[in-house]
Amino acid sequence: MIELKQVTKQYGKATVLKNITLSVDEPGIYCLLGRNGAGKTTLLKSIAGYQNITDGIIQVDGQAITTSSLDPGVSYIENFAKHFNLSVRKLLRIASEVNPNYDCDFALEMMERFELDGKKTFHHLSLGMKTMVSTIICLASNKSVVLLDEPVLGFDAIMRVEFYDMLTESFQKHPRIIIVSTHIIEEIAKTIQKLIIIDKGSIRFFDTLQSVETKAFRISGLQKDVEAATQGLNIIGRDNVGGLATSYIFDNPPEQTDSLEICPLSLQDFFIQMVGHKGGAAK
Amino acid sequence: MTAIYAVVKRLLASNKISFIITALVVLCATSSGDVVLSNGNYSWLLAVFTPFFFVFYDFTRLMHLGTSKKDYFSGCLISYVFLAFCISVVNTIIHLLIDPVYPAQTVINLMDVCQWTKNGILVAGLQQMFFLLLVMVFLHVLLTMQPYWYGWLADAVLVAMICIFTPFASLRNVLAGFFRLIMLNGNAILHIGICLLLTAALSFGGLAVLKRKAL
Repeated sequence: MIELKQVTKQYGKATVLKNITLSVDEPGIYCLLGRNGAGKTTLLKSIAGYQNITDGIIQVDGQAITTSSLDPGVSYIENFAKHFNLSVRKLLRIASEVNPNYDCDFALEMMERFELDGKKTFHHLSLGMKTMVSTIICLASNKSVVLLDEPVLGFDAIMRVEFYDMLTESFQKHPRIIIVSTHIIEEIAKTIQKLIIIDKGSIRFFDTLQSVETKAFRISGLQKDVEAATQGLNIIGRDNVGGLATSYIFDNPPEQTDSLEICPLSLQDFFIQMVGHKGGAAK
Repeated sequence: MTAIYAVVKRLLASNKISFIITALVVLCATSSGDVVLSNGNYSWLLAVFTPFFFVFYDFTRLMHLGTSKKDYFSGCLISYVFLAFCISVVNTIIHLLIDPVYPAQTVINLMDVCQWTKNGILVAGLQQMFFLLLVMVFLHVLLTMQPYWYGWLADAVLVAMICIFTPFASLRNVLAGFFRLIMLNGNAILHIGICLLLTAALSFGGLAVLKRKAL
């Protein structure tokens, strides 16, 4: 279980995480979405105890997490993680030796599935393969919380599909909290259970994917009709062109009429409306 | 225990460059004249190089493999003890077997200079081992602190101490007294005791610094 209470992180005068309160109770695969610089990596690193927060409390399984946590029970892997320049097989073996609960069979199986050459040294791998090695090490560690920071960076389409399968299999084998940060939104939708959207250092959304499917809609029509239909609803975005309007809601949809077009929002559109700066300008 | 053992193995295995440089210097260093330095002295280089690799190279990589800070720190301490023992054995063997057949009149080995050999070669070896352990742990802590303001402060304090203590006779005596205690000490029990005490204190300091270390 991860619990964040009023977490703030500042780098000098810049506040990267703003008073975040969040509780992740149940095992599951969670997707952390946010624009570049939204605070995703800072949040994940703070939960992993890789860096200290400026204010607030982070707890994992009841244990306060800071850099002082000598064994925080969190496995975190970042892009471009540094590894010893050893063969992939040897790296996986060392990882199994330093992690008490390491799933060696899973790691070797994944190595085979992703056609990782076990004899190739780490520095001779492509970016995607390096990321894959790091991800396998992280998932195989079997710690109660696994944090993957943009794990599909450098993956081709086939590798990404394989990765999502691996994520599901790993979770089914050992149910635990897995948080994946990514920019490729639609692809991961089939794999995840819950969605966390972070924007400008604040959590904008934390709910199940089903809630997005059942409550996120685009309502288009004449401006007056749209305004009337969406009155009192949770509007997350608006577009107006001439007399026509489009409202994006996260609420129960209004009744369908001839003058309104009501369509469910894709996850990507929902994310764009939630973070609210399409084209770089705040709405 | 398996994890700590794995960390020790990895730390020692990735310390190849230190081993090679030290071995080359020990084997190739030559000096001429009636008074020469024992090649065994150069084995101490390993004690100086090793903490640089443990701190700046191995730490991040071990963390990314999932090592806990606790295991990393325990692994470092065990490796330092092991290396201090090995260096001490090598220098003692060189002092016993090679120094006497050196074609020079006087061969200077630091074990003699530090007055450790007065206590017999076995005790001298032990004194050397605990002194080298102290040196390695001291360097480890100092290097771990470097990315932070208190690391720079520690550097400044050390430099200031040497600069201020050296010119003044009374202060110079204090500095000399300190080195007589930790290094040039013929009293084996006192010497080993002081080295162990300082190593323990530095280890606790090192643990505190490691706890603050971000990745």
